[in-house]
Amino acid sequence: MKAKPALAPPGARLPDRTVLLLLLAPALVYFAVYHLWPIAGMVMAFQDYRIVGPSRFAGLKHFRTLFSSPAFLDVLRNTLIISSMKIILFFPLPIVFALMVNELRSMFLRKFVQATAYLPHFLSWVVIAGVWISFLSPGTGGANQLRGVFGLPPVDYMTSKGHIRWVLFASETWRSMGWDSIIYLAALMRISPSLYESADMDGASPLQKMRYVTLPELVPTMVTVFILNLGFFLNAGFDQVFNMMNDSVISVIDILDTYVYRIGLLNMQYSFSTAASLFKGLIGLVLILSTHAASKRVTGKGLW
Amino acid sequence: MTRRGKPSSARDRLLRGIIAGALLLVSVVVLVPILNLVALSFSDPGRVAEVRGLTIVPKGFSTVNYRVLAANPLFVRSVLNSLFITVTGTAINLVLTSMAAFALTRNSLPGRRFFMILVVTVMVLEPGLIPEYLVVKKIGLMNSLWSVILYKAVNVYYLIILMRFFEEVPVSFIEAARVDGAGYGTILWRIMLPLAKSALATLGLFYGVYHWNEYFRASIYLSEPTKYPLQLVLRQFVVLKDNTTLVGSGAMFSYDEAARLNYEGLQASTIVVAMLPVLIVYPLILKYYTKGVMEGGVKE
Repeated sequence: MKAKPALAPPGARLPDRTVLLLLLAPALVYFAVYHLWPIAGMVMAFQDYRIVGPSRFAGLKHFRTLFSSPAFLDVLRNTLIISSMKIILFFPLPIVFALMVNELRSMFLRKFVQATAYLPHFLSWVVIAGVWISFLSPGTGGANQLRGVFGLPPVDYMTSKGHIRWVLFASETWRSMGWDSIIYLAALMRISPSLYESADMDGASPLQKMRYVTLPELVPTMVTVFILNLGFFLNAGFDQVFNMMNDSVISVIDILDTYVYRIGLLNMQYSFSTAASLFKGLIGLVLILSTHAASKRVTGKGLW
Repeated sequence: MTRRGKPSSARDRLLRGIIAGALLLVSVVVLVPILNLVALSFSDPGRVAEVRGLTIVPKGFSTVNYRVLAANPLFVRSVLNSLFITVTGTAINLVLTSMAAFALTRNSLPGRRFFMILVVTVMVLEPGLIPEYLVVKKIGLMNSLWSVILYKAVNVYYLIILMRFFEEVPVSFIEAARVDGAGYGTILWRIMLPLAKSALATLGLFYGVYHWNEYFRASIYLSEPTKYPLQLVLRQFVVLKDNTTLVGSGAMFSYDEAARLNYEGLQASTIVVAMLPVLIVYPLILKYYTKGVMEGGVKE
């Protein structure tokens, strides 16, 4: 053959290691630019950032300002309250939902209930906020129409400090109860039918079967889900709060991430905002590493 | 049919009836607020006042809201932007994720341990908003759709899911191909990707929904309204109640139409359009992702 050397014959090709590195390269470039570089950039939390010229070292100044600022402490409290509602109060709901779905005998009903309950998980928080703002509207919303049926006066939920956290809880439940039940449904499917058969032979009632067979089998899944959620405790749901917030309720639902956004991008306090991010990131890191360890110890499975 | 052997007693049947009723109520609570907006969007603008919160059938029938949206250049532009971001973004996601997952699951990858540590680092360390913003500024992607497309080029969780999938492909398949002289590129393309078709379809759907629903990065990186994706226009219009961006900008409609329009109806139709692609692919999502769970009941 008189093939030019550049056109390699079928047998010869780039060395395997080169091929593998080339396959990995685009993802590496992405990680470097969008993750590692900004993580390195967080050093600005210890500096006074200047757009032009070198930034000056500022030590812990921004952290001292942060922790002595009443606004930040309010934000921290809101974050903890909203997160607790979403993690602790919400926790049993997907389990109960899965147990109920598991009792359905009609396949059609089962599919229908699942298909509708999973749907909101795929809608954006902008859409969900639109749906809820409309549903809760004091004039024409469905919620107040229902209140009217019971003779109750209308409530403007979206601007009521007393209600808005429950609006967050309810809309989170609306969005996630179905979807989060999938992991429990999958666990229920794995329970061996022989366990139920022997319970039947012992004359167990349906409630006893629930108490002594089903629930114990679900415990490992519950533990995994719970500690995984703890790892994201300081998140509290940026997109949700960001789209449901308004001036009337900002004092009770402003969370860490919305605070970082506001002081950083709207007030342009780059270094101060990054100090708040770094604080959140470090707590988050500790939480994730310890839940990873806890999960490994309790269930034998970690996060990665 | 009955899983627990014994014929069910009257009490059991009652309990099951209550459970079925409660679950149907959950479905109603999910669907009614959505169907209400659909009804509102198709109602005659003159009769919108009759549409109450629990109404799910339009009062009268009119497509005027959708026609107004279709005639609005900013709205049409935003739909096209969203489609472009979604299609391009998902394609990039799938290519990068599958190439990286394949490379990371090969023992012969040099420095594999180091790269895995890198992946876990990316997973547990969250860069702050401002440092990320400054990086996007430095690499010159400000006010470019690429800032939004590239923001989540690889989702680490999906990368790990695909790695688990590739790890399960029997080594003998790959070795047989290597004996036949296939390189890693060919093996990925001819063996791994076809085997992972349903996993890739699932990831593609999730990535796609993510891109379609993205609004936040767009809101901080894009400054010209003509570059906005639909979700951002929706946020301006429905959440921030900013009527001027979408409706007031220039001679969008004739005076007659503007007078006849009802903002509630128009907002509802914007929400419906923003949900539509998700609703269209939703059956596929159910098919690929939740199939196992949904059909588990049949196998009993």
